[in-house]
Amino acid sequence: MKYLKRLLTVSLFAVGLLLSSCTDLSETPYSEVTAENYSPTAEDIVSLVAPVYTPLRFGVMGFHTWLSAQHESADVIVTPVRPNGWFDGGRFNRMHRHTWTATDGTPNSVYNMCFDGINAANRVLLQIDTGEIPIEDGREELIAELKVARAFYYAILLDSHGNVPIVTDFSITEPPQQSSRSEVYDFVVSELNANIPQLSETADQSTYGRFNKWAGKMVLAEVYLNAEVYKGTPAYQEAIQETQDIIDSGAYQLEDNYRDNFVRENQNSSEIILSVPYDEVNGQGNMFHQSTIRPTQQAVLGLETQPWGGASSQPQFVDSYNEEDTRLEDTWFTGPHYIDVGSNEPENFVKDVPRIEPPGTEFYHGYPIWKYEVYDGIPVHSDVDFPFYRYAETLMIQAEALLRTGSADEAADLVTQVRMRAFEDPADAQVTGSELQQGSSIVFGWWEEDGTITNPDPGNDIEFGRMLDELGWEFAAEGHRRTDLIRFGVFTTKTWLNHQPNGDGKILFPIPDGALNTNPNLTQNPGY
Amino acid sequence: MNNYIRTTLKLLVVLPFLLLWHLNSFAQHQVTGTVIDATDKTPLAGVNIVIRGTTLGTSTDENGEYSLNAGSETDTLMVSFVGYETQAIPINGRSQIDVELVSQTFEGEELVVVGYGTQRREDVTSAVTSVSSDEFIQSSPRDAASLIQSKVPGLSITAPSGDPTEGTNISLRGTTTLAASTDPLVIIDGIPGELNTVPPEDIESIDVLKDGSAAAIYGSRGSNGVILITTKSRQTDAPTRIQYDGYVNVQTIHKAPDMLDAEGVRQWIDEYQQLQDLGYDTDWLDVITRTPVSHTHNMSFSGGSAQTNYTASLNYRNLQGLFIRSDNEQITGRFNVRHSMLEDQLTADLNVITRSQNYFTGADGGSFNAFAYRNALTRNPTDRPRDDEGNYVYRSGFEYENPLVLINEVNGENVERELRLNGTLTYDPIEQLSIQLLGSFNQWNETRGYAETFKHVSAVEGGNEGFASRGTGTNEDKLLELTGTFNETLGDHVFTLLGGYSYQEVIEEDYWMQNYNFPTDAYGFNRMQSGNALPEGEASMNSFKESFKLIGFFSRLNYTFDNKYIVMGSLRYEGNSKFGADHKWGLFPAASVGWRISEEAFMSEVDFVSSLKIRAGFGVTGIAPSDAYLSLPSLQFGDRIYNNGEWVQGVSPARNANPDLRWERKEEINLGVDFSLFDDRLSGNLDIYRRDTKDMLWDYDVPVPPNVFGSIRANVGQMRNEGIELGLQYEIVRGNEFTWITNVTGSTNQNELVTLSNELYETSNDFFYTGYTQPPIQLPTHRVEIGGAIGNFYGFKSVDVSDDGKWIVEDKDGNPVSQTNASLDDRHVLGNGIPDYNLGWNHSVRYKNFDLSVTMRGAFGHQILNYQRMFYENPTLTPENVLESAFEPVFGKTRLNTGLAYVSYYVEDGDYWKLDNATLGYTFDVTTLGFVQNARVYFSGSNLLTITGYKGMDPEVDISGLDPGNDPRDKYPTTRTFTLGVNLTF
Repeated sequence: MKYLKRLLTVSLFAVGLLLSSCTDLSETPYSEVTAENYSPTAEDIVSLVAPVYTPLRFGVMGFHTWLSAQHESADVIVTPVRPNGWFDGGRFNRMHRHTWTATDGTPNSVYNMCFDGINAANRVLLQIDTGEIPIEDGREELIAELKVARAFYYAILLDSHGNVPIVTDFSITEPPQQSSRSEVYDFVVSELNANIPQLSETADQSTYGRFNKWAGKMVLAEVYLNAEVYKGTPAYQEAIQETQDIIDSGAYQLEDNYRDNFVRENQNSSEIILSVPYDEVNGQGNMFHQSTIRPTQQAVLGLETQPWGGASSQPQFVDSYNEEDTRLEDTWFTGPHYIDVGSNEPENFVKDVPRIEPPGTEFYHGYPIWKYEVYDGIPVHSDVDFPFYRYAETLMIQAEALLRTGSADEAADLVTQVRMRAFEDPADAQVTGSELQQGSSIVFGWWEEDGTITNPDPGNDIEFGRMLDELGWEFAAEGHRRTDLIRFGVFTTKTWLNHQPNGDGKILFPIPDGALNTNPNLTQNPGY
Repeated sequence: MNNYIRTTLKLLVVLPFLLLWHLNSFAQHQVTGTVIDATDKTPLAGVNIVIRGTTLGTSTDENGEYSLNAGSETDTLMVSFVGYETQAIPINGRSQIDVELVSQTFEGEELVVVGYGTQRREDVTSAVTSVSSDEFIQSSPRDAASLIQSKVPGLSITAPSGDPTEGTNISLRGTTTLAASTDPLVIIDGIPGELNTVPPEDIESIDVLKDGSAAAIYGSRGSNGVILITTKSRQTDAPTRIQYDGYVNVQTIHKAPDMLDAEGVRQWIDEYQQLQDLGYDTDWLDVITRTPVSHTHNMSFSGGSAQTNYTASLNYRNLQGLFIRSDNEQITGRFNVRHSMLEDQLTADLNVITRSQNYFTGADGGSFNAFAYRNALTRNPTDRPRDDEGNYVYRSGFEYENPLVLINEVNGENVERELRLNGTLTYDPIEQLSIQLLGSFNQWNETRGYAETFKHVSAVEGGNEGFASRGTGTNEDKLLELTGTFNETLGDHVFTLLGGYSYQEVIEEDYWMQNYNFPTDAYGFNRMQSGNALPEGEASMNSFKESFKLIGFFSRLNYTFDNKYIVMGSLRYEGNSKFGADHKWGLFPAASVGWRISEEAFMSEVDFVSSLKIRAGFGVTGIAPSDAYLSLPSLQFGDRIYNNGEWVQGVSPARNANPDLRWERKEEINLGVDFSLFDDRLSGNLDIYRRDTKDMLWDYDVPVPPNVFGSIRANVGQMRNEGIELGLQYEIVRGNEFTWITNVTGSTNQNELVTLSNELYETSNDFFYTGYTQPPIQLPTHRVEIGGAIGNFYGFKSVDVSDDGKWIVEDKDGNPVSQTNASLDDRHVLGNGIPDYNLGWNHSVRYKNFDLSVTMRGAFGHQILNYQRMFYENPTLTPENVLESAFEPVFGKTRLNTGLAYVSYYVEDGDYWKLDNATLGYTFDVTTLGFVQNARVYFSGSNLLTITGYKGMDPEVDISGLDPGNDPRDKYPTTRTFTLGVNLTF
């Protein structure tokens, strides 16, 4: 009985405790940090700023991102259906045919990447403003860097979606109002002009991958070069001025070897002005090689995992190269290559891409993109950094601005300077002012399955078409082509491969369906 | 809270010592008599007669006679026999006591297990189905649900996979939620668990609470129904009994896909030149499959007195899968001891379950590697697995590997261990009141290991030297419940009042690491530090931990007046830590009423009605999201930037926190009738219900900016399910030597997604896509539309094929158009993957010593997307093998000459009728043996015969989730199982 009494006492005690407490439902997080438990110090500033830059890493060389939007909609690169897929719900076909819609993930990803970066910049600016981030040294420079980064994202949006909301205050919780493309242009230009002067002039490891003064000026120069498209009023003189500042600084120079800009250790290139750094381990996101090297080449090229191989060159563009131009083979994987270790069956890559839709093409159709180094043992995520701005582009922007303002010969000198390393014989590298004023050497028109062109349309009617060709040869697969085609009036007027013009409205991508449906203040771009 | 658990555990530790507390005195009083069957007055042999409170006892002889020495003239005899009601007979000084035992089957008061208690079957006012062990399907069950397949109307139980580590797929009354779990709550002897927590052989009965009014007492966990499992245990005076159940089974593939063999390839090679003739002849499926033999043994023993009794069991299962190396080995031990004292005022119950399971993993973390199976189907049959020297033939292409390498050149093992400790203390201070304290501590953990050798394709072709992965996860579930039940009968008024408190805390953790580039492959996954990839920063590791709490207060009142009018009302006030600060608590009320019409005076004239009851119920249950912390504004360290030569981790918001996150609620109305006619020969029940899910959790799109992410988990939508369920049982033959019972179950359900918007959130579209066809097709398989039902297939509607072998599909206006010119807007609804009707028909026949049970089951009015045909019924594929049917003309016109496509040609009607199980048993006459009380052997076959128009391997496919009806090409093939088993009782 003694046991029992004790037992009952303990039970009653337990009951008493239960009724008096145990209604506490607060959560205990273990593997995450709550906002209230985190108070940053000055040492955390890089961590806090990081989210402003990381969207670029995921949004540039990843699948279906900015690079894809710039390439697949243009005439240099195509991703046809392959034996292992690449139909992807028809998204590549729609990019090629300019039939994308507001639900298409590729253009939408550009919009999303930019607003991720803009949001992060605004959030950090607010944290600095409220003193949540304790910073004393270099406060003004950091604020300027964040504002230039924000303007850079707006410059991409200015080019891709045009009419987007301008958001500068993270504390506002209401959906923002839309601005016109012209207003976005003014905002970008004024923000850059106001903040570039505060940026560091250093061009070395300490500013690699971040905005220094020269990277800021490249954004501005590119916006000025496209001012006629963006705003309706040209700004070539301003573009010349900004590029001249960079040239005068002496901070950068052309690499002797073109491919040094695209090798595994391209952070050592003295030509790269703004880089998006990638790393096999710490900075993953560059899977470009996986998306273009064919599955059959895994062993012979020493890839760690089987690549998926889809993207390739377009035949009409390949045909435009000067055969002495080493950039052809520096950019594309051409001709016969063994498909397996010890195998004697070569895969002969040909430029022809018979069709883009199902049942698609064979793996050997179209040249895989070879520009970014496929080094031995390359894993899914490459070490190669993406050169967003190279010094070559500084020179080419100035050349084009000079060409368009009547200084063709000065322009030709700059273009020749860039071409020099691409030809064994310097005479082949020479280009003259009058040549630059000629049309394009690309033969446009519908590409048939048998490799003929229906209604061939030589590009010699394109004003300064040679300059467009020069940009194509130098910057193929670097994300320029869509913007360049628009500026040269080709994007919505010419036919290439299985693409036909589908209206001027396609110059801007549509405001994403998701954004329209969640923000009643937005209206769709014309033509959608 | 830990303190309470600790206190409870302390109590439980003390209890066994209390069991020693035992009073006994001996005197002598001789009693003799005969025990006969009350119905046919025949003597019963082997009946147990025990003096209450002692271990003294005897059993009747062949003539039903017994003789025994009782302790005193005031003792009570406990007379018990299997299948009969136990009687307690005070001796009262008599020396001759004859007993008539009443058979339980016909006259017994059937008890139904409901939440936190039991109820008489006739008092139940909600949709509850009970299935006891003698009605179970006894044929190599996968888990508890297999036992009641097709026995419970509205509960659809399927076994879509042949993987020996996989269980059943359960769905009750349709899909009620989009983002939360659809698994029913499983309660094992009062404690939450899983369907495989206790071995099927150890289960006494299963009760299923289907409607909201019954499940609401379980609040947030009851939305998908509650399955209450009662394990075998004995709580009466009885001599020690040992029971052995064992069985062996073999399996054969239900239906193998008809891929081309080497001969077939050669026949077509000239014409198509897709596959090279490599000169050999290999049946690749044969290379990686076998005839699996599995065996299961279950031994249990139970004994003790009415005061102190115990049940212990040990279960061992060794299951082989159809594919080589695919297996599952499991051992479960269970010990239950119970002691009552103070004239049954205080009862303590202790229960321990321990389970250990291990199985081969052919892929990192998974069981069998389905990719090996895919390659066995697609590999060129003129190739061979090994060359003349016995070395593997590596011939690779895109996802094209030697399947034997994928299976043989890995080492993998998953080990799961589970320990469940629980104890209950019941105190009945007065007859009407019972107070119960229950504490339970469950611990589950898993260690995973997987390694690839130097001969694996990852090394030979990928250049990784060896790969190894190791991981472990654990889950701790603590539960404390205090309940009080008060019963009172005042004349015609019978009350039962229940009140209780429940506290549950769950902690979950997991860590894993991977490494590669090992100096040798001999370590397997047992020396992770030897690989070079981890120190070089290339391999990855991961860990996480999370927890949540669930607290509930509940009460229920059952009231019966005059044995005719029954009312039940319950209330649960429940809180879950996963919700926003102001929304943690929810109130879940339920009410139901019943009227036993057959008890009314005016029914006494109606002879053929034995019982008739109509009932109605309404109940609200809740659903919580699967993830914790959704309402907290958390930060995460993660993505790095390159800063001055270093990669620095950034810190950013982890999610759009939703501080307003609250319960998803399901309101359910249920109307039902239970009847039993013609002297109980025909009985049945009919239920109709409507379930409305409100504040449905879904990831809603929000604008960025001002939000950081484009979606937020919030409570917005509504969904409705309506349906009818019918269960009928008829005793075709009722006799002493011959009985034949048949029953039919049927159900139908209609689902509608009512809305996905409210004033706060508006969905971007009135539909969303789900399901995936995989590369190279890469289109969603299903579309869920507002106003439509879950499960609609959505794709191109193939109506014809052109002369050059291209699909002709219907465009959005219904006109035929070549598929190459069709846009995504030209897709249509192609069917629905959820059956309109589920039907079951069971027979249970007993003739003399033979017993036969037959289960048939079918589902009707639904479609299946046949992935194997979609992927392999195409002659243009390179370099993979294809189905023989790939060379047949499409629509009887011409061969296909186009790439793979998701078209309605591959969406087939899924109607099927299965002879699911047939079991023939024979019970030996063992009365002469003495030491054996019962002996039975049986032979059984499962998945024996399928009548269907479906061309795939098995029309029984996964119908859960938002993409039901997909029959993936890599699905582990289902099998036909033949079982030989024995049941012995000593």
